[in-house]
Amino acid sequence: MKFSELLSKLVADTCDVSLPLFGPELCIIGAIVGLLLVRLCNFERVLPASFVALAGAGAGLGISLLQFRQFGDAVAEQASTPLFTGLLMYDPFTVFFRVFLLLFLLFVVYLTILSGIPDKEDGPDFYVLLLGATLGMMLMASANHLLMVFLAVEMTSVPSYAMVGFLKGRKLSSEASLKYVVYGAGAAGVMLYGISLLAGLLGAANLTDMAHALLRFSEMHTEFSDPAVRALVLAVLMVLVGLAFKLSLVPFHFWCPDAFEGAAAEVGGFLSVASKAGAFGLLVRVCLALVGPPDHESTSLATVNLYLGVGLGIIAAVTATFGNLAAYSQKNMKRLLAYSTIAHAGYMLMAVAAMMVVLNGSEPPDAVVSRAEAARDCIEGLLYYLVVYFFMNLGAFAIVALIRNKIFSEDIADYAGLARQAPGLAVCMLLCLFSLVGLPPFGGFFGKFVIFASLYNAGFYHASMWVVLAIGGLNTVFSLVYYIRVLKVMFIGSATDDARTIDFSMASNAGRYVLLVSVPVLLLGVLVNPVSQIARQVAKQLF
Amino acid sequence: MDLETYQSTLARLLTTAWLLPLCGFVIEIFAGWWSNRRSKAAAYLAVFCIATGFVCSLTALLYWGEKTEWAAFAGHAAGHGEAGAEHAAGAHDGAHANAAHHAAAGAAAHATPAYPLAVSGTHYVLVQFGRLRVAIDYYIDSLTLAMFTMVTLIASLIHVFAIGYMGDELTDDHEDHEVHTSHGHLHRPGRYYRFFAYLSLFSFSMLGLVLAGNVFLVFVFWELVGICSYFLIGFYTERRSACLAANKAFIMNRVGDFGFLIGLMILWTWFGTFQFAERTEDGQTTPGLFQMLRTPEGEILRLNTQSGQRVVLVDSHGDPLLDPTTREPKTVPYLLLVAAGMGIFAGCIGKSAQFPLQTWLPDAMEGPTPVSALVHSATMVAAGVYLTGRFYPMFMPEVLLAIAYVGCITLFLAATIAVVATDIKRVLAYSTISQLGYMMLGLGVGAWGAGLFHLITHAFFKSLMFLCSGAVIYGCHHVQEMPRMGGLRRKMPITAYTMLVGVIAICGLAIPWPTVFGEKIAFSGYHSKDAIVAAALTFAQLNPKHILLFLLPLVGAGITAFYMFRLWFYTFAGTPRDEHVYEHAHEAPAVMWIPLVVLSLFAAFCAVGGEEGPLFKLLLNSEPAGVAAGRESAVPGGISIPGHAAVAANHVAAGVDALIVAGLGAFLAYVFYGVRWLNPAEVKNQFAGLHRFLIEKWRFDELYDVMFTRPVHIIARWCTWIDRTVFDGLLHAAARLALDVARWDRKFDEGVVDGLVNKVGDLTFATGRSFRVIQTGRLRQYVMFIVVGVIVIGVAGILFVTQLRAG
Repeated sequence: MKFSELLSKLVADTCDVSLPLFGPELCIIGAIVGLLLVRLCNFERVLPASFVALAGAGAGLGISLLQFRQFGDAVAEQASTPLFTGLLMYDPFTVFFRVFLLLFLLFVVYLTILSGIPDKEDGPDFYVLLLGATLGMMLMASANHLLMVFLAVEMTSVPSYAMVGFLKGRKLSSEASLKYVVYGAGAAGVMLYGISLLAGLLGAANLTDMAHALLRFSEMHTEFSDPAVRALVLAVLMVLVGLAFKLSLVPFHFWCPDAFEGAAAEVGGFLSVASKAGAFGLLVRVCLALVGPPDHESTSLATVNLYLGVGLGIIAAVTATFGNLAAYSQKNMKRLLAYSTIAHAGYMLMAVAAMMVVLNGSEPPDAVVSRAEAARDCIEGLLYYLVVYFFMNLGAFAIVALIRNKIFSEDIADYAGLARQAPGLAVCMLLCLFSLVGLPPFGGFFGKFVIFASLYNAGFYHASMWVVLAIGGLNTVFSLVYYIRVLKVMFIGSATDDARTIDFSMASNAGRYVLLVSVPVLLLGVLVNPVSQIARQVAKQLF
Repeated sequence: MDLETYQSTLARLLTTAWLLPLCGFVIEIFAGWWSNRRSKAAAYLAVFCIATGFVCSLTALLYWGEKTEWAAFAGHAAGHGEAGAEHAAGAHDGAHANAAHHAAAGAAAHATPAYPLAVSGTHYVLVQFGRLRVAIDYYIDSLTLAMFTMVTLIASLIHVFAIGYMGDELTDDHEDHEVHTSHGHLHRPGRYYRFFAYLSLFSFSMLGLVLAGNVFLVFVFWELVGICSYFLIGFYTERRSACLAANKAFIMNRVGDFGFLIGLMILWTWFGTFQFAERTEDGQTTPGLFQMLRTPEGEILRLNTQSGQRVVLVDSHGDPLLDPTTREPKTVPYLLLVAAGMGIFAGCIGKSAQFPLQTWLPDAMEGPTPVSALVHSATMVAAGVYLTGRFYPMFMPEVLLAIAYVGCITLFLAATIAVVATDIKRVLAYSTISQLGYMMLGLGVGAWGAGLFHLITHAFFKSLMFLCSGAVIYGCHHVQEMPRMGGLRRKMPITAYTMLVGVIAICGLAIPWPTVFGEKIAFSGYHSKDAIVAAALTFAQLNPKHILLFLLPLVGAGITAFYMFRLWFYTFAGTPRDEHVYEHAHEAPAVMWIPLVVLSLFAAFCAVGGEEGPLFKLLLNSEPAGVAAGRESAVPGGISIPGHAAVAANHVAAGVDALIVAGLGAFLAYVFYGVRWLNPAEVKNQFAGLHRFLIEKWRFDELYDVMFTRPVHIIARWCTWIDRTVFDGLLHAAARLALDVARWDRKFDEGVVDGLVNKVGDLTFATGRSFRVIQTGRLRQYVMFIVVGVIVIGVAGILFVTQLRAG
């Protein structure tokens, strides 16, 4: 093939196929450029930076929703399309995460407008970072190439470092940012090393090709004492370490409490939900690449993958337990929520572990549902949990931010008597925290229920999943204690005389925002089907 | 007009009727904010909601009748005649298969109208996860329509009555004469709007229960009516007796619901669906619960295997359902079916206050009288009977026999207690229990139509009598003891004579000859009770062992007549016993007596025509398949269930017996209390022991106290001891452990990790200092841990994989 032919083919692929489907990302890129221009030309007075960010996010969301509807209409003839010569994958999973992340971006931008955390002067800088990070997350969820995996993770991480340190002049914030940067750099180094090993060993970097290469590899190297196999295992683990850093899984969680405590609550809320969502999207893609093409016959590959799943289950159980127990002694609300974030990452990882076990374990003789259906349930659980987590965690962080604006404190002890001064706010916090615990009839309950149910099914493939399930159940009890402690301070404790009073009206914009975020928590527990149907549709396409 | 419009119109009408009271409730419960305690706005809103609901229900009923060309009222006339019994039975089955099995229109075309008599569908799917499907389904057949119309009509009238009855709550400072505090009577703000909010919530729940198209939804509304009943019994929360009664009702219902839940679990495990009717979705048909168990002819396919008797599950055409993997027919152990039926019936026992859970209903009379009329006589307590009727295809013959005996014992026991009760509402409460017993008996002996027929007629005359008693209590300024009344008919004639209509109806008095317009001169109760007694007689003839099932209801009919006329004579006839009460007594205002008059018309004439009349035919239309034909016992000594023809043959004999006995009872009451020829006190002395026994309600409360309450207390004391010493110790230890782990965790985080890293850090520190790099110890720790983590996990992974291969 001549170079010019290649070039014209590439142009055709890029212009005709990839770019139109890349619309939401392009909107964000456009908004970023717009923000920089606003900064350059001093347009802030005329055109507030937040509006540009809102417009970009809104346009992107609109396009993603249209794309989502197209998937709903078309009867999945060609469900997945590779973009940019296979660097990215375009399928319902991608679009689900686009919608999720852009909607979340809208909510966060609006929250920052309400709480005024970047002042007018810094607005454009902040929103550039926020939009840039979101762009990275969207790429994470659609990455189909090891190169894109790394780029997307870094694209998410670098703006996040800056956002954590955005409260200039605060020592805690700068320190947190520095810690985050250095830790992130270390993790990125490890991951990059893993990626280069993996690509070198398999001779493929595209995730789809990798799956086939892996199969060939497992046929060639059947001996586990073979150094190449050890190198491969190490490479996979190193890639997963990079993801574990993003997911703040034990033992790669050390940055999380410090970063969250130092960062503004708005940034904490953004990182805890959006960054996790993107990373889970990526984790699912990497795991599915490792599983290989469906219905292959390689038992050795399946065995290794099965134990990878078990290992993920163990890490999930340890993470959930650690996060919940460490949260006990926290006095700062943001730090408490940081540990709670770690614990929830553990719960969600359980779903991925269950999926790996289901896909690679030996099928039980009396299986009620097929392997693909069981795996679909796992992903459905993960997605449903993410949607619930969106609202309950953002709600908690938003309320923390709004209270901070009134009392200038984020210590739990200073929340005493909040229920009497701002009952609406306290009740919304109660909704969010109860949902985080997983009590019915809140959304968190059903999210946990679906994940635990898929763990139970996975137990038929490998019994260790039942142990993980038991630990997960136990953790729900653990978590009750520290969430309730916050509520106890808010509802039963009485304010000290010198405490600042909170004057917060639910009829204000901020009050409506809090309602808008916390009421869905309740709705998702009562009207389960609409969202779970969507989650199932999305999951169906993966298997 | 096509099928879909027909179905959606019916569903929409009934759903409107169902949801309106909920809207009402939501608005009314906040009436404290948008209104004040002296305003009747909440009451008018509640009345509007339920009355509109009645209009919708009635429209739905008429629409249904018109669309189906009144087939429900035409097809059954021949069924009871001797001529053409064979053909009629065939037509029956066709119609029933359609009604109960909701077969597609067009099957059995000659007997089926174009529009199906029963429709079902789904409003909204709440949860669909794997096999688990929780949806808001509806199921509409003639029983649903009849119940809807009855409930909304009675509820509307009772709402209107309550506008007047609850009038003394319309104040900011209500004085409760029953509650004594150290400063005299209790003063509290009135709770007028709250009462109507509760009533609306109850109406919503009750209608939801009737409309529900799957068992799960039934259970949800079952509990909702339970909680409404709890709120309403305990409406006067400051009265200790009201609180206790509310608790008692709630707890005793939980006992029954426990059985209900067990039944549900068995059904779910073995049938995998909660749905009543067949559902077609994405081209896949899931048969409903009832189709699976019986063929379209109502037969159960039994299969004797080594592991005991099993029942084959079938689809709506009667073909066995096959297991998708093994291609074997799906079967269910027979014993489990009996257990499931018993469990579900246990729920009905609790709700309908049947023996042995009957003691809560008389205590429930602590609630305001409109509540007693609506919740505790006409609707909620009848829900147990309704559910028994709905679940009829699920009940095996053994369960039916149990139902019959429970009903029989209940009706006799409650009737005897009613004879000695002196509180006017309690007499009515016992009479309710007794009548519910009749309904259960009817269902148990195979008279499905008769049982539900009595449910409807009883709802009318019993709510009428409760409202009359309410008017009496209102007129006598909250005197409820009958020994303080007498001669009140001169003061409150409307109440007295409407009550008399109810009394005659419940006693089943009638003038069989001569007839007017070809009809016997009889009120509703005569027809329905007659039908039950006739079925009981036939059952006893077929199964001579169970003769008690006929004798007790017959005697019960006499006792019923005695205590009901005793009540009427005591209250309204003769001379006043308490001059003070009589002096101040007055007739109720129009808002209260108009509902009485309307209800008395229905109590008298709703069953016109008896078993040839429209109401009975309407109900019979939903009768499950196979009931009409009856069932001969396959094994000698087994239970045979009479069919329609056999019952019809015994109808006259049973009717005459019942009428004579009832007449005797009424005459005795007249002798004792009307003309007072005999002195009841002397008889009382003669049978002092028996009287005491009855006054103490057969000592059931004491029995339960000894059997359950005290042992529970003793066990509770043990448990407390064990809890305090053993479990608390364990728990404290566990809590300490958890704390220690958490503390250790923190220490690990801060101490060990820091320490370790500091050690390593110290080593590197010297190098670090030499490079003059400014570093914080903490940060190094973190980065170190990435390395440590990767190494540990990598080594563990590789070791593991190597081990795996070696092992």
